[in-house]
Amino acid sequence: MIYILEDAINGILMGSIYGLTALGLTIIFGVLKVINFAHGSLLMVGMYVALWVVSFSGLHPYLALIVVVPVMYLFGYCLQDVIIKPIFKAEKDVREPITVIVVTTGIWYILDNLTLLIFGPQYRNLPDNPLKGKMLEIGDMMISVPKLWGFIAAVSTAAAVYWYFQKTRTGRAIRATSLDREAASLMGINQYKIYNVAFGIGTATAGIAAVTLVPFYNIFPTVGVLFDIKGFIIVVLGGLGSMGGAILGGIIIGMIESIAPQFMTATWTEAIVYGLFLVVLFVKPSGLFGVKYDW
Amino acid sequence: MKKVITRHWKFMGILTVLLSFTMVFFTSNTANAGSNVVRIGNIIPLSGPSASVGEQGKNAREMAVEEINAAGGIKSLGGAKLEMFYADSESKPEKGVAEAERLINTNKVNVLTGCWNSAVTYPTTAVAERYGIPFLVPVSVRDTITEQGFKTVFRIAAKDSWWTRDQFAFLKDMEKEFKIKVKKLAFVYENGDWGKGFAGQWKELANKGGYKVVLDEPYPSTSTDLSPVVQKIKRAKPDVLMLVSNAADAILLTNTLAEYKVKLKAIIASGGGHADPSFLKAAGKNAQYIFDIVEWETDVNKPGAKEANAKYKAKYGYNLTGESVDAYIAVYVLADALERAGSLDPAKIREALAATNYRSGTGMIVGYEAVEFDASGQNKHASLVMTQINDIGNGLERITVWPKAARRAGYTPVCPMPKK
Repeated sequence: MIYILEDAINGILMGSIYGLTALGLTIIFGVLKVINFAHGSLLMVGMYVALWVVSFSGLHPYLALIVVVPVMYLFGYCLQDVIIKPIFKAEKDVREPITVIVVTTGIWYILDNLTLLIFGPQYRNLPDNPLKGKMLEIGDMMISVPKLWGFIAAVSTAAAVYWYFQKTRTGRAIRATSLDREAASLMGINQYKIYNVAFGIGTATAGIAAVTLVPFYNIFPTVGVLFDIKGFIIVVLGGLGSMGGAILGGIIIGMIESIAPQFMTATWTEAIVYGLFLVVLFVKPSGLFGVKYDW
Repeated sequence: MKKVITRHWKFMGILTVLLSFTMVFFTSNTANAGSNVVRIGNIIPLSGPSASVGEQGKNAREMAVEEINAAGGIKSLGGAKLEMFYADSESKPEKGVAEAERLINTNKVNVLTGCWNSAVTYPTTAVAERYGIPFLVPVSVRDTITEQGFKTVFRIAAKDSWWTRDQFAFLKDMEKEFKIKVKKLAFVYENGDWGKGFAGQWKELANKGGYKVVLDEPYPSTSTDLSPVVQKIKRAKPDVLMLVSNAADAILLTNTLAEYKVKLKAIIASGGGHADPSFLKAAGKNAQYIFDIVEWETDVNKPGAKEANAKYKAKYGYNLTGESVDAYIAVYVLADALERAGSLDPAKIREALAATNYRSGTGMIVGYEAVEFDASGQNKHASLVMTQINDIGNGLERITVWPKAARRAGYTPVCPMPKK
């Protein structure tokens, strides 16, 4: 019994981090109506930035957020402004611009391969830091401290973004754009600026996810791909565009990955995860927590 | 209308620039090529999950080619230079097959090498066989690669049944030497061709040796969290844990094992991820006392080995590994065969490769005495050594411990693993 509890806790912690990696994906989809295939690569870029900040400053990994979040926000903002926006403008009559999706795929390949070229395929991880390898021991139970921090970061990030979208003027403008971009434009909202901001926020959350991963995970050029696939499943599971859904979807995946291997081999958990994904698509295509209409 | 025209001109301008770039690129390429070259196609993972190991293999090949070309190339072919063509398999079988077709038909390669991942090598050798192009496999360990009845496939490295056989022989010797009792084994391996091949043979050997297998766990190499697997290991309470891992999962597994304070008498790994140079750096202290079976170690007692390693390290920044050494020798074995063949006819090169008996020379830096292929194309002499990761005053390093004749002088292996 205690084993199940231990696995469940690990699943919830790791799952919330998966959810956090998928949060940006869901935000960007919600607003731009574009599946951002480069999201894993943005996560990878965030991990490299966090790695440098922490190894140069020698500070607590979470203090890297002070640098990573603005850097990633700007990176996302500029990426959208310089590369994606022109294509958006060219395709402005289409509700779900396919070309933009192709462009994000291009960005994914370029970022991954640039990193491979510049930094080589080596696996890196943080040198000793206050979080690495720390475990909380409660009786026989062991809980990973860096994952616990990740859980807190995930929940507070989701809450903060949710609050921002609900309560601030820009947040409301973002929601208005996501509901109906023409109508929003007619009301005087500059939709391209809103896209930039939304892309920036999505990228910044990928940066936060990167910071939570860096204390216990490896960093290498194709690391994003591993989280990308999971991210897509989580987002569809939780409901495209739903922020709470992303975190909860992540937790569901995390729980399956953590508990199921105790009853079968670890390889089977992947089959279960994808199976669940298919079932959700058949039964409730809008996702477990998604609303029928946007937002 | 005017706008359209200017846009047109802009486009033409870009096109011209691009074209001139490609022209420069191609002319410089063909200038190198000349008529007197041997074209060698190499299919290795240069991106994707095994990119790290692919790059090492590429570097080792480059170093050998440079040395051979600087020494005058292939003399019986009028000093022909070796020219390398690299193709990226991304560790995907279908990519390997497609790239083999492309190298043979478009680049007109005379011979192929690769592909590291057994799952890629297996179908790719079939393409080479169909075209009659000799295929030299430096390292891909799956037994069946040389058991397809193919005429054109030759392998330098030991096959996996030899690796597992030696791992169990090592375990028996350790039990005797350190008077420990090993009863329960746990097998944890990546769920690809390589891991499954090892595990199948482990099970047989464990049965024969009278061990009890308490855990038999494949896991996907792309796992983002291995703590569930580590929990299973901890709860199964094995004496010895045997692993087959790629690099990312080897690091993750080693760190997670340390975090959960899993108590084991020994961990025996199977090269690959555990032998990757970045493994020691990334896993650090957590990697201490792991046993790892490899084909070659920097402290091997062979003239030329130290120099070759020093040169490689100065060039690329990390040590040679067993797998990059296989790639290094492969180029020399190929050069030796080409020298004897005196022709670029694939059939002649195949004949010469089959008659290989490479015993000495710059490339011969392995522990065993010769490279000689049996009828199936397997190198008869390939052998393995067991190393232990430990710190004896100069930082963490890999120290050869088995067979006893090869053990580094003055070193006593640490077994069972002390509590950390």
